[in-house]
Amino acid sequence: MMSDQDLSRRTFLKVAGVTAALAASGGVPEGLFASEKRFARFPEKTDLIVLTSRPPQLETPMSHFRDLITPNESLFVRWHLANIPTSVDLNTWRLKVGGNTEKELQLSMEDLRKFEKVTYTAVIQCSGNSRSFFEPRVAGGQWEHGAMGNVTWSGARMKDILSMAGIKAGSVDVSFDGLDRPPLPTVPDFIKSLAIDKATEDDIIIAYEMNGVPLTMLNGFPARLIVPGWYATYWVKALSEIVVHTKTYEEFWMKPAYRIPDNACGCVPPGTTPKKTVPIHRMTTRSFVIAPAEKAELKKNVPVEIMGIAFSGGYSIRDVIVSVDAGKSWREASLGDDKGRYSWRQWFFPWRPQKPGTYTLMAKATNSIGESQPFEGLWNPAGYLWNKVEKTPVTVR
Amino acid sequence: MKSIFALVVIILAISFESVGAGDNLKTISLPQVNVELREGDGKAKTVTLCAVCHSLDYITTQPALTRAQWTGTMNKMIKVMGAPISEEDAGIITGYLTKQYGSGN
Repeated sequence: MMSDQDLSRRTFLKVAGVTAALAASGGVPEGLFASEKRFARFPEKTDLIVLTSRPPQLETPMSHFRDLITPNESLFVRWHLANIPTSVDLNTWRLKVGGNTEKELQLSMEDLRKFEKVTYTAVIQCSGNSRSFFEPRVAGGQWEHGAMGNVTWSGARMKDILSMAGIKAGSVDVSFDGLDRPPLPTVPDFIKSLAIDKATEDDIIIAYEMNGVPLTMLNGFPARLIVPGWYATYWVKALSEIVVHTKTYEEFWMKPAYRIPDNACGCVPPGTTPKKTVPIHRMTTRSFVIAPAEKAELKKNVPVEIMGIAFSGGYSIRDVIVSVDAGKSWREASLGDDKGRYSWRQWFFPWRPQKPGTYTLMAKATNSIGESQPFEGLWNPAGYLWNKVEKTPVTVR
Repeated sequence: MKSIFALVVIILAISFESVGAGDNLKTISLPQVNVELREGDGKAKTVTLCAVCHSLDYITTQPALTRAQWTGTMNKMIKVMGAPISEEDAGIITGYLTKQYGSGN
């Protein structure tokens, strides 16, 4: 038996060790060899990039996004408070629903599964995804683009649960608390809220399955809120209590945390402070070149299919245009299977590079209401909403 | 290479979820991840007080922040996140972070 110290040293492998192991299994993208990323394998997860360990913040390498659906073991992890649930007994776990309601509910997993089961695919993305690209740099989790994934969620409609409890007149907000707890009593508990009209929309569910199986512990077992089209800060994990309020719920994690400038772009001049803010909500439109990977080496006159993904905050992708010459000329990509307006859409673009040299691949998506992506990053002090057109350099030999 | 493979297998065996047959209990155990901070005045205080609430990679993974940004982060931890750290200790920690993990301005 290894000592704790042995285990810690061995579980937490610096990039050299893990890339060696991954390379042997054929699963490591080129770019990782040069990086200083730290990898570790957490329970029910494959090797993910470690931003922080307590609480865990784990990022998915870009190569995992070649699949339309992100496997559970690949999905990123982000908790806010050190005391995260590591053991849940469904015999005793109950989801409390109360506050300004006719009655108080104590739902078991069996009860939850009795509601009509709703299934759809939706992008889950951290508010601070891509924060490390902000200039000037901002404090906070230094994610690259891997705090996202595309998962098929199944669960019960929030509005069905709330109508069982009976929403009383005068209800304004609904708050959601999970099993995670602050490390000290002085630290604010992680509780999020939605306006009552939002919380009772058809597509808001309490999911107990991801990709057809129970949630992984680190992604919110036994049940989490799904607010498709909105950033994952609202998708409270390991739900334990839902409260209907007669006043606006504005505790720490709603205000001052997770706010964006109150204007059309959610941005301010770099380095400045917004005068007025609102809670972050719907996701911006994004697209990525996934293959070939950054810094890949291609051969001249050999056809290659450029492949990527595109998504927006709850509106379907209308088109994706692609450039192989750093934005000088653009052509439309063909879109893959449509899994609904909350899912990301794969896109494909055939290319046959004819001359050796360095090429910059770019993709730009537009959704059904005309929202698209800026060519320069928009800035805000918390590092949210990043969605500029990204550049993927490749070499042709 | 063989030893690395063996190691991955061992880690899998130890850290994977356990759901007891026939019952409803699900338990995981999280890996311990060690983080070593840079040597410098104030390191001991920084390790002791910051690690009460979070792992020290919350420090090491930050970009090189300005003195104003580290001071702002320290204030946020105390005034907003509820860290019980005295003004004197806050000064020592901010000094350490600015010197060891700062942008130099």
